[in-house]
Amino acid sequence: MTEPVAAVEIDGVTKRFDDVVAVDNVDLAIDDGEFFALLGPSGCGKTTTLRMIAGLDLPTTGSLRIFGEEVGMAPPDRRPVNTVFQAYALFPHMTVRQNIEFGLRMRRVKDPELSQRVAEAIAMVRLAGMEERRPDQLSGGQQQRVALARALVNQPKVLLLDEPLGALDLKLRQEMQQELKALQRTVGITFVFVTHDQEEALAMSERIGVMSEGRLLQVGTPREIYERPASRFVADFIGRTNLLEATVDSSGAVRLSSGARIEAETSVPAGSEVAVSLRPERTRLQPRGTASADGHSLDGEVRDITYLGHAVVYEVAVGSMSVEVRSEGEVGQPFAAGDAVTVSWDRGAATVVAD
Amino acid sequence: MAGVVEVGLGRRTRRWLAAWAWVVFAFLYVPIVVLVVFSFNSSSRVNIWGGFSLGWYGEALSNEVIISAVRVSLIVAFVSTVVSVVLGTAVALALDRYRFRGRRTLDGTVYLPIVIPDITMAVMLLVFFAEAFKLIDSFGPRLTLGISTVALSHIAFNISFVCVVVRARLDQFDRTLEEAARDLYASAWETFRRVTLPLIMPGIAAGGLLALTLSLDDVVISAFVSGPGSTTLPVYVFSSIRRGVTPELNAISTLMLAASIALVLGSLALQRRRASASQQTQVL
Repeated sequence: MTEPVAAVEIDGVTKRFDDVVAVDNVDLAIDDGEFFALLGPSGCGKTTTLRMIAGLDLPTTGSLRIFGEEVGMAPPDRRPVNTVFQAYALFPHMTVRQNIEFGLRMRRVKDPELSQRVAEAIAMVRLAGMEERRPDQLSGGQQQRVALARALVNQPKVLLLDEPLGALDLKLRQEMQQELKALQRTVGITFVFVTHDQEEALAMSERIGVMSEGRLLQVGTPREIYERPASRFVADFIGRTNLLEATVDSSGAVRLSSGARIEAETSVPAGSEVAVSLRPERTRLQPRGTASADGHSLDGEVRDITYLGHAVVYEVAVGSMSVEVRSEGEVGQPFAAGDAVTVSWDRGAATVVAD
Repeated sequence: MAGVVEVGLGRRTRRWLAAWAWVVFAFLYVPIVVLVVFSFNSSSRVNIWGGFSLGWYGEALSNEVIISAVRVSLIVAFVSTVVSVVLGTAVALALDRYRFRGRRTLDGTVYLPIVIPDITMAVMLLVFFAEAFKLIDSFGPRLTLGISTVALSHIAFNISFVCVVVRARLDQFDRTLEEAARDLYASAWETFRRVTLPLIMPGIAAGGLLALTLSLDDVVISAFVSGPGSTTLPVYVFSSIRRGVTPELNAISTLMLAASIALVLGSLALQRRRASASQQTQVL
């Protein structure tokens, strides 16, 4: 027992609904105390994965362990996890207090421990004074907190959150992001949350698993996912990027279809078809001829300009391709449509994605 | 009102419609008023006013045949309501939740007793009981029509009504609430008892009230399947009419009217109390 046990360990799990494969052979280990995000577009299998951890859906094949204990086929009431549901699923016929007490009562926890733990949970989510209200008398943010308290009062080993902030407006969502992060540090347990919002995933989690069409495409820290996407899908889904079709050169560089050579590290064998990912905010514009063509630049012509206040976005035609350049904190507008320019970037900003 | 632009109906049309509404209202309620007024008539002639009297009420309440009919009606109504609420709710849950062989057929036919005419239902049940008795009697017992056949028949049509009302409620039910309960360590049974049942209870109560009313109201089916000593009140009233309307019948009808109004007011009061209870918590 020297190796730390993963909080959640998913081994070759597949879930089929009739003939639709919702989750396709997923392997994933989530560490103890980690804030982990499952990110992907709707229908990618992230919610089904979460529901399988909760026990609300059972895997078709594969194994699922929580702190080393096999629970793949166990009913939800036999698992040391609790869930915050997407629309909260608060019991409408119960008061805030009755909602929060529910799990403890089901596990036959008696007073004084019962009332003490409920009081602590209510204090933790700052709902004191609201105990006797019913869910329909609360705002969205308050309902969200009741849902959190109702789950956390049971002291689960893992807390599962299904799009927890999806029903809130933007300002409240940003507040709740901070609150959730703080809450996770306070209670110190593993949080697994599902979201389709990549900014939310980047802002909140320690690690992200990106899913698409039932497959887990990449797992990594927000920085790894953003800076070193493993596939076109991940590069494109997380933030904005320019994906330029290219072929791997024999000299460890890549060549675009236009013939331009770009220096970028890759382990893919020469001759492979790849794409180069260039983040718009990592590129800059200079008048043509002032930058040396050292494998970190492309010549083009400004086609369109979008002024956003805090940034200016240029669309630059490079041969038959179009490259987006995002320039932040710029004063004035030195370039106009039709200007001959050079798009350049720092070493390491161009990333090769193989598939 | 001044300043409000009239759209659609002109003033004349509106007056006519209002007058028409009053006519319809009178059409509905004048017979009831006549019935109630004449139940207090001291004369033994139904259509001649002989002064105010409570005499016919005394007569009706001391008539042992009537008392027995009331007793039968209440027993049948109670038993058929309880049984059909349990069975109808179970059928509604099964149709809502599970996929099983014959589900579609059951789904399509469970409502049949609502649409087929009472008289068809009555003949069907009578034939059914006759055949069933023939079969069972061949093993020894001698069964006859009586209070249990009336109760069984009422259960047979009430299940459909309860089922329809409960299913309507289940349609709006959010299944994630059950998932939440399961996630919070409730067993399947506890989930049903503490989450599902309380939330579909208004539907079950409405179905039960409907069943109670339909059972107390039924004449045609009860008349066919009742035997000696198992006459319900509506059947008694109906058969007495053939001997002529007496002020006694007016008194009974008025009592039945009062009972059903009390039932409706009672359920309204219950709903209102619940609504105000939840409003009070809002103020706090």
